[in-house]
Amino acid sequence: MPDVLIQYQAEIVQAILETFIMVGASIVAAVLVGLPVGTLLFLCQKGKVLENKLVHTVLNLLVNIIRSFPFLLLVVFLIPFTRLLVGTAIGTTAAIVPLAIIAIAHYSRLVEQSLLDVPKGVIEAAISMGASVNAIIFKFLYVEARSGLVLGLTTSTISFISYSTIMGVVGGGGIGDFAIRYGYQQFRTDLMMYMIIIMILLVQLIQIIGMTVARKIDKR
Amino acid sequence: MIQLKTVSKKFNNEMAIQDVSLTIQKGDIYGLIGPSGAGKSTLLRMMNLLERPTTGDVFIEGKSLTNLSNAKLREARKSIGMIFQQFNLVANKSVYKNIEIALELANFPKSERKARVEECLKFVGLEAMQHKYPAQLSGGQKQRVAIARAIANNPTILLCDEPTSSLDPSTTNEILSVLQSINQTFGVTIIIVSHEMDVIKSICTRVSVLSEGQLYETVDIMPLGIHTIEAHPQSFVDALRMGGE
Ligand SMILES: Nc1ncnc2c1ncn2[C@@H]1O[C@H](COP(=O)(O)OP(=O)(O)O)[C@@H](O)[C@H]1O
Ligand SMILES: [Mg+2]
Repeated sequence: MPDVLIQYQAEIVQAILETFIMVGASIVAAVLVGLPVGTLLFLCQKGKVLENKLVHTVLNLLVNIIRSFPFLLLVVFLIPFTRLLVGTAIGTTAAIVPLAIIAIAHYSRLVEQSLLDVPKGVIEAAISMGASVNAIIFKFLYVEARSGLVLGLTTSTISFISYSTIMGVVGGGGIGDFAIRYGYQQFRTDLMMYMIIIMILLVQLIQIIGMTVARKIDKR
Repeated sequence: MIQLKTVSKKFNNEMAIQDVSLTIQKGDIYGLIGPSGAGKSTLLRMMNLLERPTTGDVFIEGKSLTNLSNAKLREARKSIGMIFQQFNLVANKSVYKNIEIALELANFPKSERKARVEECLKFVGLEAMQHKYPAQLSGGQKQRVAIARAIANNPTILLCDEPTSSLDPSTTNEILSVLQSINQTFGVTIIIVSHEMDVIKSICTRVSVLSEGQLYETVDIMPLGIHTIEAHPQSFVDALRMGGE
């Protein structure tokens, strides 16, 4: 291992840990909230089983608004809300709030798109068998769309890594923050390069895992 | 017995079905024929309320479907099987799971599901295929799985929307004989929508002709039998003369 990495080992490990926490929390938010929101977006569309123009319009607008913010601005804009929620707007925990919000908006849109790929006829077959809305979601939609849902989460996760890199502005830390602090502010290009390599490897790894899983569970 | 009472269906501003009334007797193999866009599918889909009539009512065994609560409607649908032109199997479920899901939705006793799935698979001649996925099957095999799924919960009615329209003639015959044997073995009332005169003439006992959303005429016929579709050249000539496909 190069000497600089050993010299900064503790800080780098800390930065990687912070990135994992921020990205991990984003994934949890995406799955726990983004998945249901995306499902609702889909089901409330015209002609779908929960058709509801009001709910669809409101959710759609919210998701669009959140996604149209430049992320840095969203972080700043959310500072009062973050402070209200976690008591502080600074630090890794506080960074999770804007990350979770963008994660939910990001993934819910991809969920909606994946569900749109499920053939309409499959849903009709489910209805004709007397399936409830719950059964339609869990026993048909998610089963049929599962590889799309996994690929969507893969794409989202890679975006979350990118979003997490700017969390230094609110003291969130992470690999990106480390790279900017040393590489940009202290002209340690070597350190920055190593951080970029770590990021590239991380993204590759996630992409490979996502693709492999998606392919394995796809029987279509 | 299925009764449609002056049902109409409006899509946007177009009338897809206009004041159609018809009665289908228990045990019939009932055909609905007409050109594309005549409203056959819409009419069929009213019989399990996949399509809710804009006006009029649908009765199954004398009970109105349109007045049922959601839960009661789901219950009613469990004894009305349906198959489709595109089969509509769940691609990510094995053949076995595709059939089992119908039993699961109907709260069929868990311990008896396996035996019932295998019984249904045997009936359609696919017992060896239970671990395959739909993508590994031919069109005819997929439709057999769809049929097994539709009859798994012992329905009294089987709705068939162009069940053979994406199949070749010999596979069409196989599927038609499966349908006929479901009717004869279990007494299931079968309604077949098709734009193909051959299909209707081979197994239906009563046929309604639809045209532009209206009932044109209903006739009782003697089913010609399935084998004649291919075996008898005259049936091709007849079909051609009828202008059918
Ligand atoms: N969901 C729908 N939305 C709008 N129009 C529809 C819908 N379903 C059917 N139609 C229209 O209703 C008419 C009858 O359709 P359909 O019942 O599918 O005819 P068929 O099965 O006889 O070919 C057609 O003009 C079709 O375009
Ligand atoms: Mg049709």
